[in-house]
Amino acid sequence: MRKSLFFLVSALMALTLILSACATPTPETVIQTVIVEKEGQTVVETVEVVVTPTPKPREEAPLVLDKLPREQTLIVGQLTGRVGTPTNFNEWVGWKSRDRGMQNLANEPLWSIDYATGEIIPGLASGDPIYNADFTQVTFPLREGVAWDDGTPFTSADVVFTIETLIEFEGFNAHNFMIDNVASVSATDEKTVVIDLIQPNSRFHTNFLDRWGCTWIMPKHIFEKVEDPITFEFNPFVGTGPYKLHSFDPNGFWTIWEKRADWDKSPTGILFGEPKPQYIVFQAFANEGAKILAQLTHQLDAVDLSAEGLKAALAQGDTIRAYQPNYPWVVNNDPALTGLTFNTAIAPFDNVDVRWALLLAIDIADYEGMAVDGAGTLSPVHIPSLGAYPDFYIAPMEDWLSEFTLDLGNGETFKPYDTDAPQRVVEYARGRGYVVPDDPAAQDQAFGLGWYKFDPDAATKLLEKNGFSKNADGQWLLPNGQIWTIEVLSRTDTSHLSFKNAAAAVQQWKKFGIDAIHVPSDNSSQLAYTGDYDVSGEWPAQEPWGAGADLYRVLDFYNSAYVEPLGTITTGHTSRWASDEMDAVIEKLRQTDPSNTDEVVATGIEGLKLLVQEMPGIPTFGYIGFVTWDEFYWTNWPGAENPYSQPYVHWGPFKYMTPFLEPVS
Amino acid sequence: MTFVKGYLIPRLIQYVLVIFLGLTAVFIIPRLTPSDPVNRTIIQLRSMGSYLDPASMNAFIEDLNELYGLTGSPLEQYGAFWTRLFKGNFGVSFFQFPTPVNQLIGVALPWTLGMLLTTTVLAWILGNIIGGLAGYFGRSRWSRVVDVCTMIIRPIPYYIFAFALMLLLAYVIPLFPVSGGIPIGRQFSWTLAYFLDVLKHAFLPALSLVLLGTAVWFQTMKLVVQNVNAEDFVQYAKFGGLRDRKIATRYVIRNAMLPQITSLALSIGQIFSGALITEIVFSYPGLGMLLYNAIITGDYNLIMGITALSIIGITTAIFVIDLLYPLFDPRVRYQ
Repeated sequence: MRKSLFFLVSALMALTLILSACATPTPETVIQTVIVEKEGQTVVETVEVVVTPTPKPREEAPLVLDKLPREQTLIVGQLTGRVGTPTNFNEWVGWKSRDRGMQNLANEPLWSIDYATGEIIPGLASGDPIYNADFTQVTFPLREGVAWDDGTPFTSADVVFTIETLIEFEGFNAHNFMIDNVASVSATDEKTVVIDLIQPNSRFHTNFLDRWGCTWIMPKHIFEKVEDPITFEFNPFVGTGPYKLHSFDPNGFWTIWEKRADWDKSPTGILFGEPKPQYIVFQAFANEGAKILAQLTHQLDAVDLSAEGLKAALAQGDTIRAYQPNYPWVVNNDPALTGLTFNTAIAPFDNVDVRWALLLAIDIADYEGMAVDGAGTLSPVHIPSLGAYPDFYIAPMEDWLSEFTLDLGNGETFKPYDTDAPQRVVEYARGRGYVVPDDPAAQDQAFGLGWYKFDPDAATKLLEKNGFSKNADGQWLLPNGQIWTIEVLSRTDTSHLSFKNAAAAVQQWKKFGIDAIHVPSDNSSQLAYTGDYDVSGEWPAQEPWGAGADLYRVLDFYNSAYVEPLGTITTGHTSRWASDEMDAVIEKLRQTDPSNTDEVVATGIEGLKLLVQEMPGIPTFGYIGFVTWDEFYWTNWPGAENPYSQPYVHWGPFKYMTPFLEPVS
Repeated sequence: MTFVKGYLIPRLIQYVLVIFLGLTAVFIIPRLTPSDPVNRTIIQLRSMGSYLDPASMNAFIEDLNELYGLTGSPLEQYGAFWTRLFKGNFGVSFFQFPTPVNQLIGVALPWTLGMLLTTTVLAWILGNIIGGLAGYFGRSRWSRVVDVCTMIIRPIPYYIFAFALMLLLAYVIPLFPVSGGIPIGRQFSWTLAYFLDVLKHAFLPALSLVLLGTAVWFQTMKLVVQNVNAEDFVQYAKFGGLRDRKIATRYVIRNAMLPQITSLALSIGQIFSGALITEIVFSYPGLGMLLYNAIITGDYNLIMGITALSIIGITTAIFVIDLLYPLFDPRVRYQ
């Protein structure tokens, strides 16, 4: 019995080893197409690059269900999982799993953001919006030659109809925004729309700017025949993107899109040429193990994994690559900033000294090592250190940051900024055996420009200044003598950066003598928005656009008008922090043309300084994504060595990546 | 007449009362949870990247409350709940608005019924037959081998067991698909090819459930049989010189089956809650994931729809078993 079992296990292990040792790839130099910017113009060029070794398929590629030739089919994971409403494509109402291919393939917005290139790509629009002097009127110029995938031409009548319909029916996500902003909308010709605004709004157009979602344009010729557009399922979906709906699983596990015969009538085709895959399948998996197995067996070309999943997939799959070919492998240019958020509506987190003390009790190298193995890019301010943001904001603020001083009490002061903090993370990474480049510029890009000192003494003085003390066991006590317990709220998904930040903070604060407790909850978002928490792993600031210099999206969330009483969902940032000074900065930004970079940056810096001074949340490191691509069937992915596009398949500009993907022969 | 008055009517009243109280609890309990469907919808939209203008948010909250039918008093909502229920309508799902709850359940239910009804009955039959024989012939070599196997299988956490099966039969020996209920691109049709595809995709999840289920029924049945085996009437039969097969089937296993039949009824009633972990491991469609998502998103209507089905399923199963029990056990009479 035992012998048989031993033989069975040995045979299985041997079989696994043989399977995993099958392919021996060799590096190769290939010609690739990239998008570059020259003299302010986006142009497509070919360059010679070395690509990740990719073994060629050794046998004829199979068909996907006897219908879709596998070598013409791209299969990608669906980030948000199984579609709850598979038959419903009405993305203007509620949540419709629009990353199943609606926003990222089959629909074109007026504009979209590509954070990798820092570009705002005009899709249905032919250029930037044009505001009048007092921002009470805006003109949208539209692109020529675009048609819906059923052949109907796209015109200004579609845009006018969309805005009027959104205003007319309650229940649309954008209904109240349009009611609050639009006085009238009209078309001056087939390709020009003019919108009169109720009140000055220099950012009105951003409602149509796709940054993982926006207001899309409805096909008038379909929606005008519908009695109730709120309950209308919009099935089959009709869009202006390069792909059209092929079929979907009624259980919500997959959606198939097929390249339009008239792909050249989509903005993608007009701007970037013919998409390469004939079919694109979005497939949902309910667990990560299945994703990895599917990718290892070449049934899944691109997918988002956890940190652990990424390492497992890279270790097992010869044809699998990550965004970066080497450590830290991850996508580190996502325009979101992670960290910790204080509930400033409750004591003692309503005290800025307490917030700063908790920051100074964090050893960021240790913290980041525990959270993400040192892979994130540090940011000392409330925007991520990526793309153009370091040049626009962080580098110009460094002098101010270096001089920024905290009052520790008893006449003592302390300058917390530390330009060496990223070096400490570099040392951590090297200590783990990872290869880190020596080039300072590369290090700045990967690890950030600076963060704050780890100084428990300064933290102690700040707390003692406010009546906190330590007991004989070294535990911190509140000013009333009770043991200070901090509950750090996070999501339950252990791979989510909310969880990782919370777990790391708890460890740091425990070392400092605070009774810190990690509280993961499936209801964490609601608890955070209703203010039922102490500290949370939610993002310390609203995500910026990811392109351009404008920080209105970040700062407006601290508007005092949005702060609601505890127990009521806040419409602003979950820290519930606001101030008159910040309100003034927000108002100033509202009066500023978002394309006026100098003025926008100057006002943005004012806002960021206020956030550093008040520290309503601790910015730690930028969001990191764990993307894996299987190069068995498709290559020329936009990796770190060739970032011609943002790398995710769930972001809107995925459609702009499709013309550049190359089938492996 | 005695049967109707003394047996059927009291049980029928009990049946209706349990369903009424159960459904009332189903109406109240989700409203006591801290999860608010309107808040969850807004948070979902925001966390999924939608930029909802903060200045317009309060009006949006009011709109959603109205759309979801959450504007009246709890009593009014309770009245509306029963009105809808009598029409067989659970309203619309909040989180998957405006899809009707009936439609969501209608899509998921056949998968759950097909998978769980089959595997539950199959595991019950296998477990009881093997367990019954193993209990009676406890000293035989095969009985001890099966016993050891079940002792190894049963304590393995289901998630690990199911994933190991998937690793073995979908990756190392790629005989079955990694995930899903049907292959990519396959649409429903009354064809042999479609049903073969469904069976192929159902094989691994079904195998995991049948193996573990059989182990559980096996161990229970074996224990019950061993107890019955020691009863006087069995000893008397043995002393009377009856054949082993007759004692095993007519005396021992038949008596040992009685608690197993009750347990089967309860298991069948519970299948309406779905098999959450099976659905997660194998990305298999069904009611389990639907219910889980409904709970974490505060989707009252969907929670009420699925749990109402479950309550009705369990109470009906018990009611039917109550009526049928005298057929299995002559000692119980309709009185």
